[in-house]
Amino acid sequence: MLIQVKNLSKSFKIFKREPGIKGAFKSFLKRDYHLFHALQNINLNVDKGEILGILGENGAGKTTLIKLIIGLLHPTSGTISVDNYTPWERNHDYLRQVSVVMGQKNQLWWDIPASESFLLNKHIYQIDNKQYDKVLSELVELLDIKDKLNIQVRRLSLGERMKMEIIAALLHQPRIVLLDEPTLGLDVISQSKIREFVKYHNEQYKTTFVITSHYTKDIQEMCERVFVLNKGEQIYDGDFNNLIKSVNPKRKFIYELPNDYDSKIIEQLNKEFDFTFKDNVITAELSETILNDLLIKLLAISSPKTLSFEDLPVEETLRSFFANPTKYLK
Amino acid sequence: MVSSIAIKYFSVLRTNWIQALEYRANALVGVLAIFSGLFIEYQIWDLIFKAKGYTTVKNFEFNELIIFIFLSIIIGQLKSSWHSSGEMIRAIRTGEINKYLIRPISYFWYHFMMFIGFNSLYYIVYSIILFGFTIIFKGMIFHTLASILCFFLALALSIYLSYCIYFIMVCFAFWFGEVRSLVVSYNLAMLVLSGQYVPIRFFPDYILNIINWTPIRYLVDFPVSIATGILPMEEWLSGLLMATLWCFVLSICSAIIYKLGIKDYEAYGS
Repeated sequence: MLIQVKNLSKSFKIFKREPGIKGAFKSFLKRDYHLFHALQNINLNVDKGEILGILGENGAGKTTLIKLIIGLLHPTSGTISVDNYTPWERNHDYLRQVSVVMGQKNQLWWDIPASESFLLNKHIYQIDNKQYDKVLSELVELLDIKDKLNIQVRRLSLGERMKMEIIAALLHQPRIVLLDEPTLGLDVISQSKIREFVKYHNEQYKTTFVITSHYTKDIQEMCERVFVLNKGEQIYDGDFNNLIKSVNPKRKFIYELPNDYDSKIIEQLNKEFDFTFKDNVITAELSETILNDLLIKLLAISSPKTLSFEDLPVEETLRSFFANPTKYLK
Repeated sequence: MVSSIAIKYFSVLRTNWIQALEYRANALVGVLAIFSGLFIEYQIWDLIFKAKGYTTVKNFEFNELIIFIFLSIIIGQLKSSWHSSGEMIRAIRTGEINKYLIRPISYFWYHFMMFIGFNSLYYIVYSIILFGFTIIFKGMIFHTLASILCFFLALALSIYLSYCIYFIMVCFAFWFGEVRSLVVSYNLAMLVLSGQYVPIRFFPDYILNIINWTPIRYLVDFPVSIATGILPMEEWLSGLLMATLWCFVLSICSAIIYKLGIKDYEAYGS
């Protein structure tokens, strides 16, 4: 196991302040501190070469978990072992094996070209010249960003900056890469480029990726397995498609009948199955088994002119899941 | 191994130079700002000497006092860290420090190189000014080769000591978030107490005694006293040893406070 998280909890001491100048004065004199439990009793194992997606609403604890794994935070209790290293000891050998990209934080030097930050990383990670040239040219080629290398970071677009951030994070060829909202604010083309790149890198180098994203498509396209957090607690760890099926087992079914059908039989069927019927087209959103029964009966009546199945939008499914997660998970 | 570590930290310095040169106007104004300080000090002491008809003040003749103060201002600038310490505090408060903590590099030494890198332009320009002083005030500074060597050694210790003090203050941001007022208070106090604008020899004895027992003495007064020959040669070695001891003590304090602080660090922001 490459990453092992056991009984991990993290709490922060925070204080609340009333709005306005009165609240500011009151808070200056006396602060009402309380503990905020960002993560509670988390257990997680990640294998080498896996792409794990961490899902959760805002404030669920996704970024806190990433920060604990990379070693930026000390846990309140519990342990994390990453390739037998304890992250928050920040052993330099450990830091050479991991990397993190935080979508909302810039890790490159703002006022100088990204190529200078790459050179700095080359020396910090003690990458030899040959490997540096090879990896850099490959990454630049894949992310299609060669002509922007010598432009100051502050003059780059958000998408170009993110690509540069990813290059900086991968130059030393880490075994584990943590991506926190890597596609945040990017246009669809850049998003898709980054997804393709992650999949390619994972296949090519067996790099382990742990990804958090608010874009369902990121998770859907990159991760087979997801780890779901809700208010600091883990509520699901497993196959993404199974989660979607358990939340919304229905599929959309469109069956176009030929013109010579018997309308009485269809009316009869409509009493048995829940579907709409308009202009010779039957449209239904039903679970897999019921859908099969309906299909068998329809095929017995008449062959379809056209027939199609559609999965329901994953975004909607996840929205209803996060509205009441306990309803779907037993 | 040693060379790759040296290259690692030198590359931080190099990147900082490139960054400093990016904003030409800022770099030029920063470097030239020293001249206003020198000019004002000259005018003040010229007025005092002329108005009161003094030939000496506390055994300093006018030219001796002026070169002592000029050197003090320059060294005071070289060891100060208004910019770097402000940046470090901001980085802790906003979570920007994360980008240093996730890399295999010591935060203490990384920022030391940033501190040196930021002040490098001053080092170059002030070296030229120092060379000019040696010619203008011929025979009043750097009397021997030993005084030049010991001065630069004392200066290096002063810069390191000063950095350690700033680093310790900056680490309080791990607990309090914002500590720029602490750094500003320290900077203002040091303008006077380290002898940057008035030689500490002008202070009452009881204050001087306290200063002599702290690292403050080694920040400005000690290297300047060596350069001007005010400090007898036999006291140089003991002074250098005391400054080294203070460097050692403050390095340990920095390491302990950083270790405690980083444990409480909450990595604000995403």
